[in-house]
Amino acid sequence: METEDPVVHIQEDPFEKEVKEIFQDTLGLIHIALVTHYGLEEGEATELEKDLYLWFLRFCMRPGNSSVRESRPFLLVACCQFAREYQRYVIGAGVRQSDDRLKRLLDREPADVARDFSRSLELLNFRYHDV
Amino acid sequence: MSEQAKILRFPPRQIPESLSAGAALETAQHYLSTPEENRSQAFREESLSNCDVLLAICKLLRDSMEASPATSASEATHLYRWVANPLSVVGLFDEREYLLGETSLIAAKASRLLGRKREAENWLDRSEAAFRHTVNPSPSLAGIAFERLALRFASGQYEETLELLPSLKASFRKLGMDLEHAKAQFLEAVTLRATGKEEEHFSLMQRLEQEPEVQGCPSLHGQILVHIGNHEASLGHFEAAARTYENALPIVLRGNRPVALCELKWSIGNAYRGQGSLSKAVESYRIAKNDYLQLGFRSFVTQLSLVIAETLLSLGRDREAEWEILSALPTIEEEKMVPEGLAAVALLRESVRRRKTNPAALRALREHLQTKA
Repeated sequence: METEDPVVHIQEDPFEKEVKEIFQDTLGLIHIALVTHYGLEEGEATELEKDLYLWFLRFCMRPGNSSVRESRPFLLVACCQFAREYQRYVIGAGVRQSDDRLKRLLDREPADVARDFSRSLELLNFRYHDV
Repeated sequence: MSEQAKILRFPPRQIPESLSAGAALETAQHYLSTPEENRSQAFREESLSNCDVLLAICKLLRDSMEASPATSASEATHLYRWVANPLSVVGLFDEREYLLGETSLIAAKASRLLGRKREAENWLDRSEAAFRHTVNPSPSLAGIAFERLALRFASGQYEETLELLPSLKASFRKLGMDLEHAKAQFLEAVTLRATGKEEEHFSLMQRLEQEPEVQGCPSLHGQILVHIGNHEASLGHFEAAARTYENALPIVLRGNRPVALCELKWSIGNAYRGQGSLSKAVESYRIAKNDYLQLGFRSFVTQLSLVIAETLLSLGRDREAEWEILSALPTIEEEKMVPEGLAAVALLRESVRRRKTNPAALRALREHLQTKA
């Protein structure tokens, strides 16, 4: 799946480079979460991904946050919360219809949904190291 | 984002234009160096509507807090109000809550340093309420817990401080916050000293001094060395203490933490006094007092005035001692630094009025203030 590069106007230093790499590594999963699970349109997902990158870069700089790699699960939590708030707003405003599957997903806590995604991520990592 | 969503203005987002760390810091410095009265509404909006700049301002305020707590408290309060205003454009997702938590935490620490404990508690409550709504609140909440313990220590609740410290240290360890863990150990060490456990205090300080995270943080390292020197001086090992203070000086200067330099000068005064070099002690105390005065630490200025007065009395310079006491008494009353009706204050005032200073009342008042600090 081709997505537009969500990273905009950043002068790279080594830290930002690392954040960008981790974000790019996770982007496939983020896109699946936004489009396939939360039902966002491609364009909407791309815009949210840009915001999500800026947020993640600043999040990793917060005092007390651990390494960029270890911050990845929080990126997924933010992704799910972003998507849920967005869809709830759009559906609530009557712009879009919901269905039972989406309703059930929107009722779930984003952290729980993200945890499921994290498990997928761990599985992917496991497979990667296995190879 | 769909056109409909744009019309619906969801999410209320900042234009995703990110500044490099350097550019954000430069704008933040320009904002803070512009006097309050010269900041137009347009200037504020232009500076503060960028989240990178807001975060850079927070960093600068954290870094300069110990040098100028009054400025940090005032700027953090302004920032908090800006961020809390629903009409202000503030970052993405949880960043408004994060910044509310961060500005409140800065205001809380600065208030504590200024001796405004009640205000500090209120700011900590605001900070906690905000951080709870952020992604990964644990490190920030642990930071608040540390600040609450520092406040307990400042209020003389030493047993409670010691009781709660192990849990906080475990949190810092679990979160990989090594420097904060070292700071918690430092708080433990000074609390041990306050409860009379001098040997435990000294051995913990010696252990801490060897920790790599401490050696990488000159402000903490310098402070630890000053405590080690104080202990050596209290045992009468003045040469060892002088060597430790000498080692501490460049580290304290590198730490850019003026209050630590004041502590060092105060400690050197104590060492001179312990050696019986009372005139030199008065000289060091006066330099430290002047520095505290410049920084706005009125409580320490007052304590030092009383310490100087005691030393001057020992030198037989009674008139100078009276002046020191007379300069301290108004602050003690204005800041309500002692409970109303504390006998030592009345006795001291009366003895000074009669030009026959009561040394026991002076010592009792000085000890009371130092225990409270």
